[in-house]
Amino acid sequence: MSAYLDTRVTLYASRLWPDDALEALIAMPDAAVAETLGERGLPQLAAGYGSATEPQQNLPSLELRIISQILDETQVLIRPLSGDARAFLNFWTARFEVSNVKTLLRGKMTGERPAAILARLIPMGPFGRLDNAALAHAEDVGELLRRLEAGPYAAIVRRARRAFEQSQDPFSLDAALDRGYYEGLVRRAEPLEETVGAPFRRLMADLVDRINLVWLMRYRFNYGLPPAQVYYLLVASHYALSGARLRELAALDSPQAVLAALPAAWQARLAGATDIATVFARMERAAAADALQVLRSRAPEIARAFAYLILRERDLRAVRAVLRGRHLGLPGDDIRLALRRGSAGMH
Amino acid sequence: MLRAEPLLKIRLMLLASEAQDAALTLARFGVFNPAPCGLEALADAPAAAYREAWLEAEARLSKLMETCTDEVPVDLPAAAEAPSLADLEELNHWLKDAWSACFACHEDEARIEEMRSRLGALEETLAKLEGLNVNLAQLLRADSLLAVNIGSLPAAELKRVTEALAMTGHLVSRFDQAGEQVFAVIAGPRARQGEVRGLLAQAGWRELPVPDELRTHPQAARIWLDAQRAGLDSQSGAACEVRDRLLEAFGPRLHEARLRLALARPLAEAAMSGVCGRGELAAVSGWVPKRRLDALRRTLDDRFHGRYWLDLREPSPREIAEVPSLMRYPGWLRPYVPLVKSYGVPRYGEFDPVLPFAVTYLLLFGAMFGDVGHGAAILLLSAGFARRLGAMAWIGVAAGTVSILFGFLYGSVFGYEDVFPALWVSPLHDPTRVLTIAVAFGVGFIAFVLLINAFNKGVAGRASEALFDSGGLAGLAFYLGAVGMLASRVGMFDVARTGGLLAGAGIAVVAAYKWHEARGGLGERILVTIIETLETAITLFSNTLSFMRVAAFSLNHVALALAVFTLAHGLDTVGHGITLVLGNIVIIVLEGGIVAIQALRLMYYEGFSRFFNGDGREFVPLRLENTAGGQ
Repeated sequence: MSAYLDTRVTLYASRLWPDDALEALIAMPDAAVAETLGERGLPQLAAGYGSATEPQQNLPSLELRIISQILDETQVLIRPLSGDARAFLNFWTARFEVSNVKTLLRGKMTGERPAAILARLIPMGPFGRLDNAALAHAEDVGELLRRLEAGPYAAIVRRARRAFEQSQDPFSLDAALDRGYYEGLVRRAEPLEETVGAPFRRLMADLVDRINLVWLMRYRFNYGLPPAQVYYLLVASHYALSGARLRELAALDSPQAVLAALPAAWQARLAGATDIATVFARMERAAAADALQVLRSRAPEIARAFAYLILRERDLRAVRAVLRGRHLGLPGDDIRLALRRGSAGMH
Repeated sequence: MLRAEPLLKIRLMLLASEAQDAALTLARFGVFNPAPCGLEALADAPAAAYREAWLEAEARLSKLMETCTDEVPVDLPAAAEAPSLADLEELNHWLKDAWSACFACHEDEARIEEMRSRLGALEETLAKLEGLNVNLAQLLRADSLLAVNIGSLPAAELKRVTEALAMTGHLVSRFDQAGEQVFAVIAGPRARQGEVRGLLAQAGWRELPVPDELRTHPQAARIWLDAQRAGLDSQSGAACEVRDRLLEAFGPRLHEARLRLALARPLAEAAMSGVCGRGELAAVSGWVPKRRLDALRRTLDDRFHGRYWLDLREPSPREIAEVPSLMRYPGWLRPYVPLVKSYGVPRYGEFDPVLPFAVTYLLLFGAMFGDVGHGAAILLLSAGFARRLGAMAWIGVAAGTVSILFGFLYGSVFGYEDVFPALWVSPLHDPTRVLTIAVAFGVGFIAFVLLINAFNKGVAGRASEALFDSGGLAGLAFYLGAVGMLASRVGMFDVARTGGLLAGAGIAVVAAYKWHEARGGLGERILVTIIETLETAITLFSNTLSFMRVAAFSLNHVALALAVFTLAHGLDTVGHGITLVLGNIVIIVLEGGIVAIQALRLMYYEGFSRFFNGDGREFVPLRLENTAGGQ
């Protein structure tokens, strides 16, 4: 089982997009794009790009095709897994379904027709656990939340419902759902951190610390929320940004002060960053470098599989940016700027 | 019965306002399978809004039906018309209102229940606050510098909230817990109350209202609590009455809604693929059997009196894979259909294997399990459990009958070989003959299967495969020639020369065809041709030998019976009887099951896999659904 997954991850790793491949994709003639995408294991994206056989309007959006690709690959990787590792990767895909929950809720708040809501949901394939058709036909947000509470995401939704009942603010719903999802992920990662050890913990720490730092800065300085509420909305974690550290950071009153109070290694990484997007991009780049290291190491297979999925998703986002940029006829430099990817040391 | 019925693609064009009646008429007609129009000139989807309204209404109806059990079956009158889009939308709005009223009732009941549990908690809280000996009136003074909140929040949030509130100089003191809810007092500087309001809302904090009545003497507080409880009881009764009145009021209209939604279903379902149009024109398209064309015209004339245009054509060769297969079977053959369908559905135009499957399956079962007694037991058990087994019981009855027949041919009853003489052959006494017959049956079966395959390939327009490939007539020629040569060698026939010529010519044609079809360099083509030609010969003969298992199982049946007799002979009279009974039960259940599976395996792998793709489309007619009562 271990050998199978290791081999599978190694084979998949050859499909990752080094920076020069992305650079080539930006400058490539239209006719060669479909072939290049196919070679990198992205036939679903290739089918809609430069293909004369299938009309563009019949295809799902680029976003949906990318998610479908991620789900397909996760399904292959998950096949030999069982127990905690399987539960973790299953829950890793659940963020798309949580996004569906948000779409359903927003749709109900704005009184959208069920068919219109259903058309915007991400097809989850074998990972789907919600009865989307029944949920879309709920009469209002109240009924929808009660139905969701009887489903697989009861714990996450219950918290969101309470928050929403008190404030009637869509932001409360989204923030509670996001926080609930990531705390669930951290909980599912804990047993694996014990058995798999440092490589897996490093990947989780990169992910959760980045989310906490970016959310903290956004809630505190973009939305102007009080420190106590900001701290409450962050993901409870035991990584580099612990609860005590997050409380200290949330109490500071400028982004510069927050960046200056970070651990020394982080300060070097974020030197010169002036906005949240840059902070996110730099942190993500560092996380990608860590993930690449884990992928190339002899780490346990679940850690390598998770590292691959992190890198693959980042790649697919970059490919999407390039394809969309090309479609809009943007100059290469503008596409490169939109990528904000920087090098993760992948060659 | 051996092929799907010939179909015609029809396109019924009429006014868009009559589309729902057209779909209803076609559903009543009973043999119309909707299919895409495929006309660019009619690219609109005039029934999309109708389908959406129907789906919404259907979802609301099913939610209402969970509450209001309507036991009366819906009977659709022959003259009933399908609702128009406007009617459907009106019905949908009514269902929405009805559901909202019902949901409000549910919500009221849930709220009363929640209030009741909060009242209980308040009562316990009062007891606890009394124990703390705190003057609540003093504690909750609005003009104090200290702001105090008493309330509850989810237990899982307590730690996080305590940490967050500490950042604003607030203290949290927990004093009780009920289920997942923790009751706590939060105290902090009144000047910083604004900072914690958002946090508390986010954390699901629920303020526990401490009414003035509760701030007095405990005895007075208890009187107040009792009054509240009595109030809730009367509210609860009123809510139940409201619900019952609603159910009574909605009942007849709900039944009518079921009827109208059932009438609307055909267009809503056809809208998924078979309805297109433009402007005021709609077209319902799909497949109908050719033989029912006149009946269809009559039906349409009766309903629309010439206000329609019917366009029809034969399926084109390019769309054969999309054409559904409509089969008709006599009642006695129907039980075998699921066994064939579990492998797949024949493509339109292909040979339908149900009839040969039924005959061959029964023959194989009887040959492997030939015993008068065991066959009779299977027959009686199947007939006895007919109600529970449904149509499958008739397979059991037929298998039992054939088993009895072979039992007479083999001279076997409950394993005894000496009760009456074998009418044909006893497997135990002449195993070589039984093996030869089994192999001969296999040759006949495989030759038949190759013929069907050639036929199917011809129908699918692949004439070269039908004539020259290993599964076509050339493969059949080789197979029959080679079998003739082998039979001549063992002295059964004298057709060695003819057989040799036939086999040589057959295999040469197969090899030439493989060479023609192979792609790649010279060496690769030579290799592919040799290997595939060799494989043709090996596969055909190994499949033939597979049929030796028919003889092996007939011998196995006798051997198992002998083993039972040997065991029984070593015991006293009672033990002897018990062993014979149990032994025969084991034979019927265990061996009977194995033989049933083996016969199925032979049919699937030596038969179906050679000629039956099983990737056809089933004919799914648009139907009216008679809803049988509530849920």
